[in-house]
Amino acid sequence: MKLTSEEVNEIALESRLLLNEQELAGAVRYINTFLDKLDCFRELDLKDVEPFSFAEALECPLREDKVIPFPDNEAILHESEHVDGSYFKVPRIMEE
Amino acid sequence: MAELTFTPVIGIEIHIRLKSDSKLFCSCSTNTDAPANTNICPVCMGLPGTLPHLNHRIVEQGMLAGFALNCGIRHKSLFFRKSYFYPDLPKGHQVSQCDLPITTSGYIEVHDSEGKLKKIRVHHLHLEEDVGSLHHSASDGRLEGAATSYVDYNRSGTPLAEIVSEPDVSSAKEAVEYVMTLRRRVIYSGASDVELEKGMMRFDANVSMKCSDGRWGKKVEVKNMNSFKALEHAIEFEIKRQKKIMLQGGEVKQETRHWNDAKGITSSSRVKESYRKFIVEPDLPPLYISQEWIDRVASRMPEMPDVRANRYVNDWEIPQEVADVLTDDKNLADYFESCVSSGANPVRAAHWVRTEVLRVLNEKGQKIADFSIKPEVLAGLVKRVDEGKLSTTQGKEVFDYMCANNSGIDDSVKALGITEGGIAGNALNDIIASVIAANPDVLDEIKSGRDKKGKKLKFLQGLVMKETKGQAKPQEVAEAIAEAVK
Amino acid sequence: MELYELNLHILIEGLKAKKFSPAEIFQSCKKRIDQCEENIHAFITRTDDKPQSIENPNGLLAGIPTVLKDNLCTKGIRTTAASKILGNWKPPYNATAWEKLRSAGAVLMGKVNMDEFAMGNTCGNSAFGPTHNPNDISRVPGGSSGGSAAAVSAGYVPFSLGSDTGGSIRQPASFCGVYGFKPTYGMVSRYGLISYGSSLDQIGPFARTVQDLQLIMSIISGHDPMDSSSFRNKDHDFTHSEDVSIKGKRIAVVKEFRDFTLDAPISDAIKRTIKILEDEGAIITEVSLPVVAKYAVACYYALAMSEAHTNLERYDGVRLGYTVKDAAGIKEMFERVRSYGFGAEVKARIIAGTCLTEPSRCEEYYVAATKVRTLIAQEFSRAFGETDFILQPVTPSLPGKIGENDEDALKGYEADLYTLPVNLAGLPGLSFFTGYSGNLPVGLQLIGPRWSDVSMLDTGVILERHLGSPKIANGGVK
Ligand SMILES: [Zn+2]
Repeated sequence: MKLTSEEVNEIALESRLLLNEQELAGAVRYINTFLDKLDCFRELDLKDVEPFSFAEALECPLREDKVIPFPDNEAILHESEHVDGSYFKVPRIMEE
Repeated sequence: MAELTFTPVIGIEIHIRLKSDSKLFCSCSTNTDAPANTNICPVCMGLPGTLPHLNHRIVEQGMLAGFALNCGIRHKSLFFRKSYFYPDLPKGHQVSQCDLPITTSGYIEVHDSEGKLKKIRVHHLHLEEDVGSLHHSASDGRLEGAATSYVDYNRSGTPLAEIVSEPDVSSAKEAVEYVMTLRRRVIYSGASDVELEKGMMRFDANVSMKCSDGRWGKKVEVKNMNSFKALEHAIEFEIKRQKKIMLQGGEVKQETRHWNDAKGITSSSRVKESYRKFIVEPDLPPLYISQEWIDRVASRMPEMPDVRANRYVNDWEIPQEVADVLTDDKNLADYFESCVSSGANPVRAAHWVRTEVLRVLNEKGQKIADFSIKPEVLAGLVKRVDEGKLSTTQGKEVFDYMCANNSGIDDSVKALGITEGGIAGNALNDIIASVIAANPDVLDEIKSGRDKKGKKLKFLQGLVMKETKGQAKPQEVAEAIAEAVK
Repeated sequence: MELYELNLHILIEGLKAKKFSPAEIFQSCKKRIDQCEENIHAFITRTDDKPQSIENPNGLLAGIPTVLKDNLCTKGIRTTAASKILGNWKPPYNATAWEKLRSAGAVLMGKVNMDEFAMGNTCGNSAFGPTHNPNDISRVPGGSSGGSAAAVSAGYVPFSLGSDTGGSIRQPASFCGVYGFKPTYGMVSRYGLISYGSSLDQIGPFARTVQDLQLIMSIISGHDPMDSSSFRNKDHDFTHSEDVSIKGKRIAVVKEFRDFTLDAPISDAIKRTIKILEDEGAIITEVSLPVVAKYAVACYYALAMSEAHTNLERYDGVRLGYTVKDAAGIKEMFERVRSYGFGAEVKARIIAGTCLTEPSRCEEYYVAATKVRTLIAQEFSRAFGETDFILQPVTPSLPGKIGENDEDALKGYEADLYTLPVNLAGLPGLSFFTGYSGNLPVGLQLIGPRWSDVSMLDTGVILERHLGSPKIANGGVK
C-alpha cells in the first residue's frame, strides 16, 4: 500500500471532499491499485524524453486587445443563489 | 563575547497590473471601477466549457516590462494551472506562467548603505491573471472577523506581471528603492501606469536573517503590502521581530505572515496555504515569440530614467539630484528636454523646471501634460533672463503672471510694467563676476569687514556701471554685487 | 416507413423536394421518443414539448431534429454533465459546435445522458440513472456518450453529438450499432464542451450512415477563435462521394493486439472486414505498437485524472449550480457542495488526480505520464509511415448487462485499451458497424494519422457499402 487512509483523507480534504468511512475505504483501494499500475512507467527510460502537453507543434493564438462586453451579465448572476444586490455573498473566509 | 550582528536576507515579489483595454484571456473591459460584476463574461467567471484566449497586447506589455528590468525574453513560454480554493478565484486555479515565464533574469540597481550601486537580481517576470476582489462585512472592512464577504469579479482575469527578485535585498531602505526604481522604469516602458492608489502594485516579501554566529533563520513570507510605506514598515517590523527571537536563542518559524497596516504589525496567517505542483494549462498551447517580434517591441523601449538622468549629468552638467527629480516622471523629462531643444540653457532650464514648474504643478495639483506654459515658451523666458533682458526676479514674476493669466511672455511683461532691454540677470552677473575677478584686493577688503562705510562697494558699482555702459539699473547692480561678494 | 426511420441525407432531400415538412419530422421523432423513452431513458432534459422555431429556415439542416450530450452548453437550457453539482444550471452561452448546428437550422429535442463529467464507459455513472441499450434494454449502451448513441440507434433523431476523451464516442457507437466519429484533436472547437481531460477531449457526431457523419463534420469542423487548440489554415472537404477507392491503400492490424482475447463475433468481424478491404484493393499489413499496448492505459488515466481534477476545481457552489446556504464558513461550504454534488467515480478521480500532481509525486506520475505520451505519439507517427490506417476492435467484448462490473471500476479501464491511445496522440477514429451477433451490433474501428479525417470517412463509405448499414433498434418496444 502506497498510501494510508489518513493520507488519502488528507488529499481528499485538500480537494474539499469529505468522505464517509465507506467512501474512504473505496478511495484508498482505488488510489493504491491505480498507483501500482503506474509503476510500469519505471520500466521506461524517460530521462531525455520531452513531455507531451499538446497534440502537435501548436502555437498559442493571440487576440487583438479589443473590448467586447458580454451582453448578458445578468444571465450569469441569475445562476447563483448567493447573489446579493450586484455582489456574490459568501460566508466567513477566515477561520477562527 | 563579541556582539552578534544580523544581516537581513530579503527577496521581494511584486504584482503589477499591466495596461490593456481588455482582460488577459477574454474581451471584458479591464475597468475595475465599473459597478460590481458588470465587466464579467463566461470566460473570466470560469463557467464550465469556457476556454482562455490570450491577449496580444498584454504579451507585448510583458515584454516591455521585462526590458525595463533588464530581462531577456524567452522564445517559448508556457502557462500553468496553480490550484487553490478561494471564493475570488472562479476556476479554483490561477492561470500563470510561473514555471516557464516570458522573461529570463534581469536586475535593478539600488544604493547600498554606503551609497554604492548594487544590483538586485530579478529572477524573472511572468504573466498571470488576477483574481476578483473581496469586500468584507466587518466594520473595519477587514477579512478577520468578517462573517460574510462580497465578491466582485470585475478584476478577475485582468492582467498581472509577477516580478520575483533574488534574495539580494538587505534592508527596508533598499527594498523601497528597488520597488520605486522598478516602478519608475516600468511606467517609462509603457507597460503599466502602476497607479499605487488603485492597487496596481502589490508586494510580498520573503525575509530571513543571517547571524554572525553562523545561524540562519527560516524564511518568512510576509504578504499583503499595498504601498511603499507598508513594504518598508513590514520589513522593518519583521527584521526586528526575527532578530529578537534569534537574540533570545529561539528559532524563527517558517511561515506566512500577513501585514496589518492599521496595527503596523505582521501576524501569523491562519489561512493554510497548500503548495501544489502546477500542471500545464492544457487549453493554452505554448507562447512562441520570434526574435523579430522581440526586436520590434524592443525598438519601442524609451530611454530608461536612470540612463536619462546620467546623460543629463554627463552631457549637461546638471546636478545628480536635479536630474533624478526631472527624470522621475517621463513626461516631465520630456518637457524639460523640449525646453532645451528650443534653445534654453540646460542647467538653467533644469532649475526652472525643478523649482518653478514643479512648484506650480504642486500648487495646482496638475500633471505636466496639463501645464499651461508650453516648453518652447518657457525656453523663451529662460533665454530672456539668460541674456539679461529680464532679471531673475522679473523672470519669476513674469512666469507667475503667465501661469495665473494664461498669457504670453510679451503681454505679461507689459502688464507687469517691466521695461526690458537693460542688462540684468545672468548677463549682469557675468559682468560683476569679471569685475570682481579683476580686483581681488578690493574683494578681500570687503570680505575682511574693513569696508565699513561701503566705499569699496560703491567703487565696484562704478566699475560695473561703466562696463554696462549705463544699461543696468543702479539698484539692481547694487543688489547683485552685494549678493556676489557674500 | 415512418419519417423517424429515415437517415439524415434522405430527410434533407425529402425536405428539399417538399415530400414532407419539418413539423412532420418533428412529430414523428417526438412520437418515437414517447414510444421508447420509458425503456431507454436517454434524456436528461427534453426540449421537444412544442415545436421550436428554426433558427435558419434555409440552412442545410433546417428542421432536422437532434440531441446533444449534456456536457455541451446550450444557452438557457439546463446543462448538467449528468452531475448533481451543476444543479439546474442554464448556461448563458452556446457551445460553438451547437451554435453551428443551430445556425444551419437544426432543432434541439433535448439533452441526453452520459457518465458524470464523461467519466465512465457504461452511461451508468450518471446522477440521472442509467441509459439502456436500444438493441437490448438489459444491456449498457456504452459510454460516456451513451445517450447520444442510444438516441440515434433508437430513431429518436437522425444524428447527435457526443464527446470522446478516451473512446466515449466510438465505444457507445459500437455498442448501439451506429457510426461514431472522433475527429482529429483541434478539428472541432471545444468551446462550450464541459471539460474532462482538456488535451484529450474532442466533440464528434453519431449517425446511421457514414454519409451523414460527413455531412455533420462539414458543418461542425473548422477554426474557432474561442478555442486556442482549434486549428487554423486547415481546410477539409467532407463532401460525400460514392466514387471513392482504397486501391493501394495500406491498412494494418496491430501485432501486439493479436494475442489479446476478443469475443468471437468481434474477431470474426475483423476477418470479414479484412477480406472486404483486400477485395477492394487495399494492402493488409501489420504494425508494431509495443509502448501503446503496454503503457497507454496507465498513461491515459494518469493524464486524464491530472487534468480533470483541475477542471473540476471550479465547482464550489459560489457562482452556479448546486449550493448550500447555511454554511458557517467558506471551507465548509466548498466541502459540503463538492461532497454532495460529485458522484463516487468523480470523487475517486479527483483524489487520484490531486495525488498524482502533489509536489512529492508529480515527477514520478504526472510528468512521467506526459513523457510516456510523447513515446506513444512517436510510436503512432512511425507506424503511420508504414500504413495509412489501422484496423482494430473498439472493445474486446460486446455490451455487458447493466449493473455488471460496477464494483470494480478499474477493471473497466482495461477495456478502453483499443480506444484511448487515439486520444493520447490526438488521432481521428471511426467506429463503424459490421453486422449483428444475435440482436447485438458489432462494431470495429479505423484509426489514422492526424488530419486523415476526410479519407478515413471515405474509407468508411466503402466499408458501409459492403457491410451494410445498421437498422433502427427496436428500443425495447415489443
Ligand atoms: Zn470576461
